[in-house]
Amino acid sequence: MKQERKAALPRYGEYNCALKYLVEQGFETKCILPPPLSKRTEDLGARNSPDLVCTPFKTTLGSMIEALEAGADTIIMVLGACRLNYFGELQEQILRDLGYTFDFINLSIYNTGKKRDILRALKGINPRCSMVKAGKALYEAVQMVEHLDDITSLYYQNCGFDPTGTYPKIYRQFIADMYAAQNLAEIREGYRNASRAFAEVTLQKPQDPIRIGIIGDYYTVMDPFSNLEVEQKLADMGVEVHRLMNITNDMLRNSEKNKQAKIREFSEYSMGASSTSDIWQAQNFAERGFDGLIQVKSACCMPETDIMPVLANLSRDYKIPVLYLTYDTQSSDVGLMTRLEAFYDMVEMRKKVAH
Amino acid sequence: MNVRNAFLGIDVGSISTKAVIIDEGNAILAQEYIWTEGNPIGAVKKLLGLLEKQFDREAWQIVGIGATGSARRLVGSIVGATVVKNEITAHAVGTTTFHPEVRTILEIGGQDSKIILVENGIAVDYAMNTLCAAGTGAFLSSQARRLGIEVEEMGQYALQSSHPTMIAARCTVFAESDLVHKIQMGHPREDIIAGVCRAVASNYINNVGKGKKISSPVVFQGGVSKNVGVVRAFEDLLGCPVIVDDNGHLMGAMGAAILSKRSLKRTLFDFSVKNMDFVTRERNCGGCSNNCEVICVYRDGSLIDFWGNRCERGAAIR
Repeated sequence: MKQERKAALPRYGEYNCALKYLVEQGFETKCILPPPLSKRTEDLGARNSPDLVCTPFKTTLGSMIEALEAGADTIIMVLGACRLNYFGELQEQILRDLGYTFDFINLSIYNTGKKRDILRALKGINPRCSMVKAGKALYEAVQMVEHLDDITSLYYQNCGFDPTGTYPKIYRQFIADMYAAQNLAEIREGYRNASRAFAEVTLQKPQDPIRIGIIGDYYTVMDPFSNLEVEQKLADMGVEVHRLMNITNDMLRNSEKNKQAKIREFSEYSMGASSTSDIWQAQNFAERGFDGLIQVKSACCMPETDIMPVLANLSRDYKIPVLYLTYDTQSSDVGLMTRLEAFYDMVEMRKKVAH
Repeated sequence: MNVRNAFLGIDVGSISTKAVIIDEGNAILAQEYIWTEGNPIGAVKKLLGLLEKQFDREAWQIVGIGATGSARRLVGSIVGATVVKNEITAHAVGTTTFHPEVRTILEIGGQDSKIILVENGIAVDYAMNTLCAAGTGAFLSSQARRLGIEVEEMGQYALQSSHPTMIAARCTVFAESDLVHKIQMGHPREDIIAGVCRAVASNYINNVGKGKKISSPVVFQGGVSKNVGVVRAFEDLLGCPVIVDDNGHLMGAMGAAILSKRSLKRTLFDFSVKNMDFVTRERNCGGCSNNCEVICVYRDGSLIDFWGNRCERGAAIR
């Protein structure tokens, strides 16, 4: 057994800080952080992927290649509730065909629903690790995820109304703190600092700002690079951007069963992966009187495509406009800006008339 | 003599470039429609020359300029626009001004198509084609060329047909191979053309209009609305009359002009822009692996605008 394993996970929004924390603190294994996603990542991934696979497959594959280039010798791939379960297997094969030598820890092989199997998979990262230590690190990594989601949602709800321009700086500092954190105290300190700094900024927010809810597939909606920074673009127009789709809301709280029960009126059965959550979130936004909904999805994402008719019904019943955005590996945001600007104009004019 | 205020709206699309000058009451003082021919700067200069001839500069002064269309950013910085607006908003504003009762706006342009739903004079929902350019003017143009006729004549041919050929409308690539097949089977030309028009309309309804409730009155505009064959196909498919405004092709430009009128920004427009020299240059930033393409616009050698950079690093490059 190799002593100095260098593990890596593909980039996934900013969640790599928590994944890195878990691997390093819990499994005492060095974690290589692949470079931030770029056009190059996407090119590498797209060139070596089947054309009609969903975009997150291409992006994560590209990120794995960049991780291997950066010196990783072990790739860890997560499991999921859609085709994501097969990602790891295919990606491993593609990487091997490209000639890379590495260990591959595919968590979805153990996707049996039994906790014991997941533990066995995780143990593959470092067989000599202590499960008590791993459990503690998992708890702390979960805290980090909750703090990250909390600060991120505060950021996008308010940064469009910050006249001082300090919001982005606070947010960037917070992200850097999370990547640097070595223990729970540092995680909590970073969180407290960011919360305090946000609270100190005097926002110029109108009484009834335009509120837009964002929903979408697990990867594209949470990864600013993949969605061409749709949240920042909207916020810059002066919109309160809300996104419930994050790990905290979707995996740590709100059980799937409860959500399914709440949306019975629109969809009786689950359509897999993010579908139930998305419909529930869309309904939640609509009930709270939001001005618009935006669905952010990767091309060829089946669950997200399946819920489009449901969203159309929801849009009709609650009289809330929905903008459907489909992302492939396009790098130009010109078309996106046209659609976002038009959506903003429309929502704004509707709001004016309503008052 | 009293000089009155006028407003210029320019709509530079992928295929055609449109401009209007209107007065305070939205009456058209000058209008022009030319092909972009892949040269938006040249087209705008030419357009301004043509407008200048129609326009009485003794009686009117242009105080607001609106730019729209896919080249709005570039053209906006060249003419010094007071308002730069996306074409969806511009079309909605233009059309609802002239047809306040409209409920559905169908728009098919050269490269894109959109649907705008209107309630009580304001847009409440819209959709635009995303990853597919099927059912747009570019498809009609290429098929007209294949059949050896001018795209402007297609509508008249289509109306002569009593049995439009069925053409698969799901995707332009497949529509085209289906079309070739039907030509080789010996279908009469007018039936084929009517079939193409029908394919464009049904593709639009199935893709862009999917899930949208299309209510009457329906206004159809964009370059393709000049094709009576497509208008007829829409009427058949929707089962209601489809209104085509004589100025339908100018609605984007009208909307831009109206938006510049509504905006409080005022500037005096000078036609001498058409004699200036504009150069755009694309520079790759290279500051990181995103390698952003930064577009720089120069007027007579000096930089007037740039965009395309994702971060501050790109701003330094010029």
